[in-house]
Amino acid sequence: MRNKPKWLALFLVLGLVLAACGGGEGGDTTTTAAAEEEATTTAAAEEEPTTTAAAEEEPAAEIATDVGVDLEAGTITIGLLSDLSGPFSPLVQVINTGHDLYWASVNEAGGINGLNVQLEVRDTGYVVDTHVQLYEELKSQVVAFGHSTGSPHTVAINSSLQADGILAIPLTWYSGWSDPAINANLVPHGVPYCIEAMNMIEYLTTQAPDATTIAIASSPGDYGQDSNAGAVLVAEALGLEVVYDGTGTIVATDPATLAEAANGIAGSGAELVWVTTDPTSFGGVYGQALAAGFSGALWSGAGPSWNPALIGPDSPIAEPLANDFYISQYYAPWAADSPGNQMVRDLVEAAGAPPLDYYAEGVIEAKIMHEALLAAYEAGDMTQAGVLAAAKSLESVTFDGLAPDETYVGEANDRLQRLQFISRPDLEGLAGGTSTGATLIESDYTSPTAEAYQFDAACFALEAG
Amino acid sequence: MTSGLVVLAQATADGNAFAQMIVDGISFGAIYALLAMGFVIIFKSTSVINFAHGALTGLGAFLIAAFATVLDFPGRYLTFLPEWAQWTVNVLTALVAAALFGILLERVFLRPMVGEALFAVAIVTLGVDIVVRTITNDWIGTQPRPLGAPWGLAVVDLGWVRIAWSEVIQILVTIILLGAIAFFLRSRTGVAMRATAFDQETARAQGVNVGRIFSVAWAIAAFLAGVAGLFYSIFPRRATGVDQATAFIAFRAFPAVIIGGLDSIPGAVVGGFAVGIAESAANTYLTFDFLGNGFPGIVGYLLMMVVLLIRPYGLLGTPEIRRV
Amino acid sequence: MRGRPLLYTSYQADQALLNTTTKKVMLGLLLLVVATIPFQVIPGLDFLGSDDWLRLLSTTAIFVVGALGLNLLTGLAGQVSLGHAFFMGVGAYTAVWLGGPEDAPLLGLGLPIWIWLPAAGIVAALIGVAVGPTAVRVRGLYLAIVTLGLVFIGDYVFRNWDSLSGGAQVGRDFPPLQFRLWKEEEPLIDFTTPGTWFGVEVSGLAKSFFLLVTIAVVFTLLAKNLQRTRVGRAFMSIRDRDIAAEIMGVDEFGYKLLAFGISSFFAGISGALLASFVVRVIPERWDLFLSVQFIAIILIGGAGTVTGAILGSAFVVLLPRLVGDFTQWLQSVALGEGFGSAIANVFVATTPNDFGLVNTFAGIGPGLSVAQLNLVIYGLLIIGFLIFEPLGLYGIWLRIRNYWKGWPFTY
Repeated sequence: MRNKPKWLALFLVLGLVLAACGGGEGGDTTTTAAAEEEATTTAAAEEEPTTTAAAEEEPAAEIATDVGVDLEAGTITIGLLSDLSGPFSPLVQVINTGHDLYWASVNEAGGINGLNVQLEVRDTGYVVDTHVQLYEELKSQVVAFGHSTGSPHTVAINSSLQADGILAIPLTWYSGWSDPAINANLVPHGVPYCIEAMNMIEYLTTQAPDATTIAIASSPGDYGQDSNAGAVLVAEALGLEVVYDGTGTIVATDPATLAEAANGIAGSGAELVWVTTDPTSFGGVYGQALAAGFSGALWSGAGPSWNPALIGPDSPIAEPLANDFYISQYYAPWAADSPGNQMVRDLVEAAGAPPLDYYAEGVIEAKIMHEALLAAYEAGDMTQAGVLAAAKSLESVTFDGLAPDETYVGEANDRLQRLQFISRPDLEGLAGGTSTGATLIESDYTSPTAEAYQFDAACFALEAG
Repeated sequence: MTSGLVVLAQATADGNAFAQMIVDGISFGAIYALLAMGFVIIFKSTSVINFAHGALTGLGAFLIAAFATVLDFPGRYLTFLPEWAQWTVNVLTALVAAALFGILLERVFLRPMVGEALFAVAIVTLGVDIVVRTITNDWIGTQPRPLGAPWGLAVVDLGWVRIAWSEVIQILVTIILLGAIAFFLRSRTGVAMRATAFDQETARAQGVNVGRIFSVAWAIAAFLAGVAGLFYSIFPRRATGVDQATAFIAFRAFPAVIIGGLDSIPGAVVGGFAVGIAESAANTYLTFDFLGNGFPGIVGYLLMMVVLLIRPYGLLGTPEIRRV
Repeated sequence: MRGRPLLYTSYQADQALLNTTTKKVMLGLLLLVVATIPFQVIPGLDFLGSDDWLRLLSTTAIFVVGALGLNLLTGLAGQVSLGHAFFMGVGAYTAVWLGGPEDAPLLGLGLPIWIWLPAAGIVAALIGVAVGPTAVRVRGLYLAIVTLGLVFIGDYVFRNWDSLSGGAQVGRDFPPLQFRLWKEEEPLIDFTTPGTWFGVEVSGLAKSFFLLVTIAVVFTLLAKNLQRTRVGRAFMSIRDRDIAAEIMGVDEFGYKLLAFGISSFFAGISGALLASFVVRVIPERWDLFLSVQFIAIILIGGAGTVTGAILGSAFVVLLPRLVGDFTQWLQSVALGEGFGSAIANVFVATTPNDFGLVNTFAGIGPGLSVAQLNLVIYGLLIIGFLIFEPLGLYGIWLRIRNYWKGWPFTY
């Protein structure tokens, strides 16, 4: 008889486990349930299963839908694959806030023709496999991806995006996104790292006309290497000698690599310096170069290298850096005088969030998605493929001065964004709270070298195999 | 490759470069020595391998940033003092807070593990590291937090070698702390600590309050980690202050501990400076292209492997006697 | 022997893999459930068949292989290794060197999976045995830091060996899960694209799932059997008292080396499968955190037990998903009405200046982000299991089982 209770026990345990799984399932109406229905995201759908066919039959809205758009509940769901715990989390957290604020204001004003936009955010931690995993999770819930953080990460989901016919906005400025062989399902925005380097370095030479030498250093990966590929191209075009090349040297978590780059730059005696990395590493490299007695050069780096904390009130390098540095930006800084910037300021101040530059990036991404959704609605096709097609046919997306216009039709070379913003560090404005430490000096700037550059493929290839 | 050889030839011909290399190495080695010392103090008195040392470093640096620049506490009430003195008082307050936090960690997470397998306890500290580091990172937030050190960009230029004032002070502070700890180990509590390290039960039988010794050890280690975090986060290392990557510095100090010997405080100092100078030397001389990027970063670990092949218990560590 | 299930009349019966009828039946049921998951036929469990859950479960299967390896080394032989991620990386890069495309700019020989997968394990094992002497020479906690060094040195090599790894932060594509006899164009079996098996439609992910689960089952059997042999007993004797083991004639050095080799073999296979399953992997993937994850797996699951390795893998792989779902649920409650909303509001902040333990407002402002909460829970679980339940999930399971074994006369 000893046998029986044990049997019973095991079945009970199994039952408990099943119940536990089922319980978790039931509580989770917004995600898993939606995945099962494959069409809707609301709890209402669970009680009375509405199929896509049913929604289509409604005469009021002759809009085709499949995933992520629920006409009955009046919602559109957009996915964000964000790095919220990895190395770029400081930036991406603010960018996501930009998304949140923008869509909240759109929804308040009536949404997309009455449809409210909601976000499904997932944290990739900047790990490729997590990124792929979360893509898999979201693809059956969202109509498109509002951003996808990281280049190798976006490359990793690119073939799936194409197979599933889903649109994504890459949150990286890799030049490869302008390549038609890669970007069938991607709508890039902003000036790519490579072109940015051409713009900025040529601009530096207008500020220091006698300069003949340049030192370059960067973080590894598409970010630093794409950027420095552009730097090398423009140096060649302008006859600058690259006296130190520390491309891929700087690793944020490794102090010795900062010293290595700083020693290299200081030892080269260059007149121009291009460092593409993260802000803290930039501060370390700049500070150690100063400590080694290197001064008098003009410094710049790709947009994400800059952070206003570099010239904050307690930053020892604030004064020299404010003299030496030119800030490269994909969008106009917080305090810039444009309707687009005013909108961002209004949104952020109304929410009581602190002033920062990076909200703009979120707003820009959301704006592109907004245009795409409107176009898809017009076309009567709000399926994943419909939104993709709509985005790919956008002739012009304007940002009211917040960023240069984007177009997604025509030849790759014509579509390539070459315009950007340049600012100078603004010590007083930052201390006084009137700006985020940047004073705009050039809007929609492009240098002759960048203008003449013929794009046929990425400056730095992310090899597939 | 050729460019690397040219640099090598130039550098060896240049005595100044050698001197600069040594100075840089000592300056960085001091940070490693401070970290390694705290690590060894914990190990010696509590037999815990503390993988949470990085978290303590990041937390210490963050607390200094918070007390010295954000709160300006208690400096704001001490207006009669010059500014640098106010800053120093703020930093000391922050370090005391860090030490208290160290005590708290030990009480909450490690005291229940007394008597468990050493390996299990070490893994507990891995868990503590994840928790503390994550919460610290949340507090640090999106931008680096400056520490407001009063030395600014001041640099001493002796002609043949340049060194930042902050580095001079850092080396002085390290020497003072080394002396203080050597002195402390000869005090009553220090002797009790050494007795505990030697044999917990016997120490207890002799009336040593072992629990208090554990607290003191963690307090000292957290204090030293905070000092290391301070000097790592100011000009010229990371001029902008403490950020979410600061805590990783502790992984560079582990080889210093092993090179010196897990249970030797002088060994920690020797190991710290050895790793600092080895990294600096690699940075100056090993600039061959085929070594790629980040080679200096693993020099410490390579050195560690070599030392372990020769002396499996480190340069100054106690050989493990295996008894049946 | 009906009615007397714990009476064994032979040593073989006592040591058998499935020594009770219950185990046989349960295992059969479990395998049946697993086999039907992709077809979503069991009500209540059908959500497991969706693409994202299939991916999670497949990842779990891959982690099981790696965890079994570390379990042999750490749980059985008592050697703490933080270097598991390094050996997984070695396996992955062996796989891509042998299996990567031939004519690409990066290293690759275009060989089929039946070569690159075993080779991934073998090369990792060889490297494990090669670094073994250093590792075996040092003991106890020194070993933990030596193996920590391996991770950093490996990271340096992987990042800089561009032609093999694709370069730091760039990475490359790994050979897909496709079975070829040799280098023919069309794979004989493609585990990545949808198709028909025995007249049943199966998606690509379902195919990979079946393949990976099969591999995990094979390795589970391997590990379980190893544990029951002379080698397994030698490992345990070294763990429990190395000197006593030596006196009994166990060759300590040799067995430690063997433990390193076998563990690295498992790690290599696991790494190759992981990379192949994910497709694109950057060299930074094989970092210390991955090693810590594996340590967490065997501790949470229960060190030294095969069941523990499986339970722990499932737990660690699924945890982020569960925490994410939980905070979403909490948020939906907080945004709702009534008493529940008030309670949830204490824990979750939904606007920038709201206070709460978890901040779902994209992470600026007070409170942890969902990702940070995930990490904190992770850390607390490691601590909690070690302090309160050293045997891990397996220990909890044992207690439940023993309670019901004596029911209703349990006390």
